[in-house]
Amino acid sequence: MIQSVLSRLTGRPSSARVEREDALRHLQLMLAGGHDPTVQSVAGALGVAPDRAAAVLADLERRECVVFQAGRVTLTPTGQAYATHIIRAHRLWEQHLAQSSGVPPEQWHAHADRAEHRLSPDDVAALTERLGNPTHDPHGDPIPPPHGAVVPHHGMPLDELPVDQTARVTHVEDEPAMVFAELVMLGLYPGAIVRVVERGPHALGLWVDGEHVTLTPLMVHNVSVAPLAAPPAPAPVRLSALPIGRSATVAGLSPACRGTERRRLLDLGFVPGTVITAEMVSPSGDPTAYAVRGALIALRRTQARHVLIQPAPPEAEATS
Amino acid sequence: MNDHPANPALPRRAAGASPAAAAADAVLATAQALREQIGGEFHDRLAETIYGEAGRLADRAVTRPGAARRFDLDRAVDRIVTSRTWGFPLMIAIFALVFWVTIVGANVPSAMIASLLIDTLHPMLHRGADAVGLPWWLSGFLLDGVYLATAWVISVMLPPMAIFFPFFTLLEDLGYLPRMAFNLDNLFQKSGAHGKQALTMMMGYGCNAAGVVATRIIDSPRERLIAIITNNFSLCNGRWPTQILIASLFVGGVASPAVASVVSAGAVVGVALLGVLFTFGVSWALSRTVLKGEVSTFSLELPPYRPPRILQTLYTSLIDRTLYVLWRAVVWAAPAGAVIWLVANVHVGGLSIAERAIGALDPLGWVIGLNGVILVAYIIAIPANEIVIPTVLMLTALSVRSVAGMGAGPGVMFEADGAQVLAMLRAGGWTLLTGINLMLFSLLHNPCSTTIHTIYRETGSARWTAVATFLPLSLAFVVCAATAAAWRWLGLG
Repeated sequence: MIQSVLSRLTGRPSSARVEREDALRHLQLMLAGGHDPTVQSVAGALGVAPDRAAAVLADLERRECVVFQAGRVTLTPTGQAYATHIIRAHRLWEQHLAQSSGVPPEQWHAHADRAEHRLSPDDVAALTERLGNPTHDPHGDPIPPPHGAVVPHHGMPLDELPVDQTARVTHVEDEPAMVFAELVMLGLYPGAIVRVVERGPHALGLWVDGEHVTLTPLMVHNVSVAPLAAPPAPAPVRLSALPIGRSATVAGLSPACRGTERRRLLDLGFVPGTVITAEMVSPSGDPTAYAVRGALIALRRTQARHVLIQPAPPEAEATS
Repeated sequence: MNDHPANPALPRRAAGASPAAAAADAVLATAQALREQIGGEFHDRLAETIYGEAGRLADRAVTRPGAARRFDLDRAVDRIVTSRTWGFPLMIAIFALVFWVTIVGANVPSAMIASLLIDTLHPMLHRGADAVGLPWWLSGFLLDGVYLATAWVISVMLPPMAIFFPFFTLLEDLGYLPRMAFNLDNLFQKSGAHGKQALTMMMGYGCNAAGVVATRIIDSPRERLIAIITNNFSLCNGRWPTQILIASLFVGGVASPAVASVVSAGAVVGVALLGVLFTFGVSWALSRTVLKGEVSTFSLELPPYRPPRILQTLYTSLIDRTLYVLWRAVVWAAPAGAVIWLVANVHVGGLSIAERAIGALDPLGWVIGLNGVILVAYIIAIPANEIVIPTVLMLTALSVRSVAGMGAGPGVMFEADGAQVLAMLRAGGWTLLTGINLMLFSLLHNPCSTTIHTIYRETGSARWTAVATFLPLSLAFVVCAATAAAWRWLGLG
């Protein structure tokens, strides 16, 4: 009682409500993935003892959100709608952080975990409108429509991609945050073009946007891809790889470049078809200045990684 | 409380759907499928296509005769200005020259203005007031308080700014300053800041208020706030005199006379460099804590070199920067002068307000290695750092009555030559620790009220203004208290 009064006063959801909502989200995601949720799995998802998880489930049953049928836990329509709202709020908030904040990618999930309990359906409606009704969160998970079903992301695990097959990354799992942070650093994000170069027992050699990276099995396990029937030829590479004095044509901006950053680069003229030349590097090593449409623009290496260029044809390199 | 089954605001849907609802579901499902088919990036595709098309039209219709040659010349200059060998030495040389010209060039006009406004006009006004028969408290309030503080600020502030700002604007106009940001960006990037902060820091050495206004060149919200909050750590020209005086009296006094001037100059440069270190450290901490969620982008255009338009530059830098900042400072200094005179002359129970405040703040002053006089001076001299030292001297003369013949009366700020000042300050209980901590406090303490007001105007946020004010102030207290504690623990004083 005191806690709920407190939560009313501070505007912060009570811990009991947070637990209920987290449990509902877990149940919905398990069911959507075709798995059977159990008391143990709920306990694991909430990080509590099984006794506590059972109490939360009993509470949810009393609130007509879940039903137990033949030993299996399923959601009622009310529970489903509630769970969908939580998942929708979570994924939209991640998209919001990606688009219009400076919060680093590895912290999106933790921020959204708190925001999902705070956002009302009206907040969520306003948010999706402001973001232009996005279909996927920045990890590649589909954002469920207000009353629609929660569907798992599609795509095959990167483990199963044959060597030399070009594919597009469709999903990068955001938990655990450490593994996700490493994947972000290597440039893996939904939309990146990858090709398996070699497959060893403990490591996977991968081309990502023209750069060679090595992934550990744990990292590989967290990436899903969709094979491309007609891969772009030649595959675009990153502007950061362009040597000083060379020119190239912009192929586009990487999908990992979002929000203000993306608009700024577009404003500066980094649009498909523009010819740019790497002019000079700062004496401190970064940034590099590029000649774009008669202007000299300095980009940091982290930004130049987000600009994709057509690799120069071999004969042009020979003459320059 | 939560007696509803779930969230009451969620619309519930009947379990058994009617044919109409089924049809609606089919429409929604089709819409969803279409949306997935289009994909989430069509906004971007649209924007890219528009930009791309505009570029193609421009390429077809616009010719730029002679542009290529200009471009080549610019690149040749750039290769020197941003080269690994010459980039940094050139930068240091240019700014050493600007500072040297400012300091040397400002001495003469500063002394002239001071002798006119303070040594000649001030006594004249007093004689005039006596002749008209103004009561002592009115002439004291107006002439010793309001007039003297304003005259002081003008004489210290105007000449350096009138030299420094035009130089700065010339370099800006020429196109050199963006190259400097380009050279230094990596350093700032590592502390989460923008290369252009190098320019706003430089501006801050002239005046922090002008430095804060100059952060408009940084178009990324997070980096701009960092530049605003840390600009205070660039010693402004109102604080240089304090540093130089205290360094020569206390730090230089410790060394043997032969090297005294070198040691005291080294101490001032050391404090300025410490300010740079604090800028990087605080930038780093801010970008990883309170400012983490702010949007951050980087863009730096290196414009073509242009021959500077000297007259126009002189005009705009005088009007836009020098007079603007000076006017603000005067507006703040006049009331401060009034307050300074009042606290020294209004008596409560036999003691002036100033003496009571000094007594009350002395214990706190001791903890941070300063004294009550300095703290009171910093409180009433918030409007302008220029009048801190004159106020300190006046308050010391007021509280140390044993020093006969010093001072110009209660509430009248003054300056005196080195030996006299040193004798008086020592009588007031000053030690080497007091000197060092005053230098640290002067570097780190809160910005002056002109700057605080400017920060509020630029950020439009009371919260960031409060951070920019109290963060440096608490840093100053912590650093000074730590220095004092270490000093006493080591048994140095």
